[in-house]
Amino acid sequence: MNPQELLSTFRTALGRGLLEDRVVERRVGTVTPSVVSDIWLVVPREALHDAVAHLCARYAPHLSVISGDDLGEAIAFNYHFTTGWGERFGEATCTIRTVVSKDDLRLPTITDLLPGAQTSEREKREFYGVEIEGIPDARNLFLPQGSTIHPWRKDLEGETAKLVKRMVKWETRDE
Amino acid sequence: MNNESIHLHIGTDAACYTVPIGPVHPALKEPIEFSFRLDGERIVGVEITPGYAHRGIEYMGMKRNLIQVLYLAERICGICSISHPLALTQAVENAAGIEVPPRAQYIRTIIGELERIHSHLLWAGVGAHELGFDTLLHLTWNVREKAMDLLEQVTGNRVDYAIPIFGGVRRDIPNEKAHLAREALGYYKGLLDRMIDAYLHDKSVEMRTRGVGALTYDQAVSLCAAGPVARASGVCKDVRQDMPYLAYADMEVRAITPEDYGVKPTGDVFDNIVVRLLEVGQSIEIIEFCLDHLPAGELMSIPKIPALLSALKKAEGEGIGRHEAPRGEVFHYIRLGEGIEEPLAWKVKAPTYSNLMSWVPKFLGQEIADIPIIAASIDPCMCCMDRVHLVDKRGTDSVETKEVLIRLSREKTRRVLG
Repeated sequence: MNPQELLSTFRTALGRGLLEDRVVERRVGTVTPSVVSDIWLVVPREALHDAVAHLCARYAPHLSVISGDDLGEAIAFNYHFTTGWGERFGEATCTIRTVVSKDDLRLPTITDLLPGAQTSEREKREFYGVEIEGIPDARNLFLPQGSTIHPWRKDLEGETAKLVKRMVKWETRDE
Repeated sequence: MNNESIHLHIGTDAACYTVPIGPVHPALKEPIEFSFRLDGERIVGVEITPGYAHRGIEYMGMKRNLIQVLYLAERICGICSISHPLALTQAVENAAGIEVPPRAQYIRTIIGELERIHSHLLWAGVGAHELGFDTLLHLTWNVREKAMDLLEQVTGNRVDYAIPIFGGVRRDIPNEKAHLAREALGYYKGLLDRMIDAYLHDKSVEMRTRGVGALTYDQAVSLCAAGPVARASGVCKDVRQDMPYLAYADMEVRAITPEDYGVKPTGDVFDNIVVRLLEVGQSIEIIEFCLDHLPAGELMSIPKIPALLSALKKAEGEGIGRHEAPRGEVFHYIRLGEGIEEPLAWKVKAPTYSNLMSWVPKFLGQEIADIPIIAASIDPCMCCMDRVHLVDKRGTDSVETKEVLIRLSREKTRRVLG
């Protein structure tokens, strides 16, 4: 896996849909130092599905997880892929980030491209309150069904604190 | 591949068996529930519901300084109690640009591989128990004790070793402890062939595990399976090989698949046993390499905790840390802000989280009596199967216990052996 080649194909495929790209190289090994790469891409929400489709079509990616990062007015979602597995030093991480405003919290599903993304999409849906358009199963996964609290949203911290307080009270109740 | 069959979804009719199993959580070791839809004995649908006791580790972590987060990460999992700290320390070190001395990298690797040995043996024992081979369970767990004793002698603890710290390790492996490690490795080398023979050349184990809980290569790839579950399906994926880190970057580590044992990978329970047992042998070789080449030098790049906290507080950036834990890839993402002690974002991904969806195709078409061994085959750290709630399609409702499921499994073993 050549990270620069990957970047170049992304630039061609997405054009203006690629807002930022960078490769961070890290030195590993103590006796015979080698280099591994983390690729970071930023795309608008509209280009997210195309970006993942490009990755799937050319690079057989593995989705490790989707992470969320509450920035205040918006939430950044990082799709942490790895690609190039199967050979020694062949792999690089490829994180595709998209930032979504809290006023319009929507993301397209990528389960049509990679069915294994569903667990992570369901988790982001319930923990951040983001609507995943087209997700095959939109029920809560880790939180109780019917729960409308989004614990990882920093602006809704009061709701989560109330929930935690209630749980502590319930768990420490005198039988 | 039929996507319909792998979505965690069942029909709306009442013909389902509800199977609460715990305590295990795909990410954080908690209870989990399976709902099976059955046609007679055959499983035709399965729904998986985790999250019964979500502890909110990441939420807690974002309210603590990074040293506290490290100890919290160590408590995500009792079995993988070095795997999460290894991934977290790498993520923070990548974000903050902290170097790790070579000797510390080797010590981290040694503890990580000792953990793999005891974890795989733990799993093999559980698998034997599910099939009704308690003699094999006791043999395997007796053998496992040697690794646990060694971990205690080297780190002071059987679990939660508190070894990694940002920029190094907290304890050395001096010569006398290295000697104990070599002795333990010799013990395992002498036993490994016997263990492989006991598991892989036993007719009843083979009859209960061959073709049971299979996962194709395509399914493993599209469902983003990780670790031995993916490798049992022939997916040649292992972080230690693909993107080496720590001491793995200095040695040749190859992802082990059933082909290394001369069998075509099908991803069934048998292949899962093959991969894990061979990986015990691989871990022995890795530890030997590390002991032979253990570099001299410092253990920590920033030995004083106040100085380390201060350096971490000044750091700004984001980082990814990955470690091939016994069950597969552990992944940590962290973002640090200058002047802020707590991480701004922290995401933890454990291997069972990746393998959650792989359970669905593994269960489909199988029998009730195979539920315990298939559930165990992804090694979800399942400590006990509490009780099972069965609702058949005629609306009959019954609650079954763990003992009943195990009895069904053992009766099947006797049945297939005639």
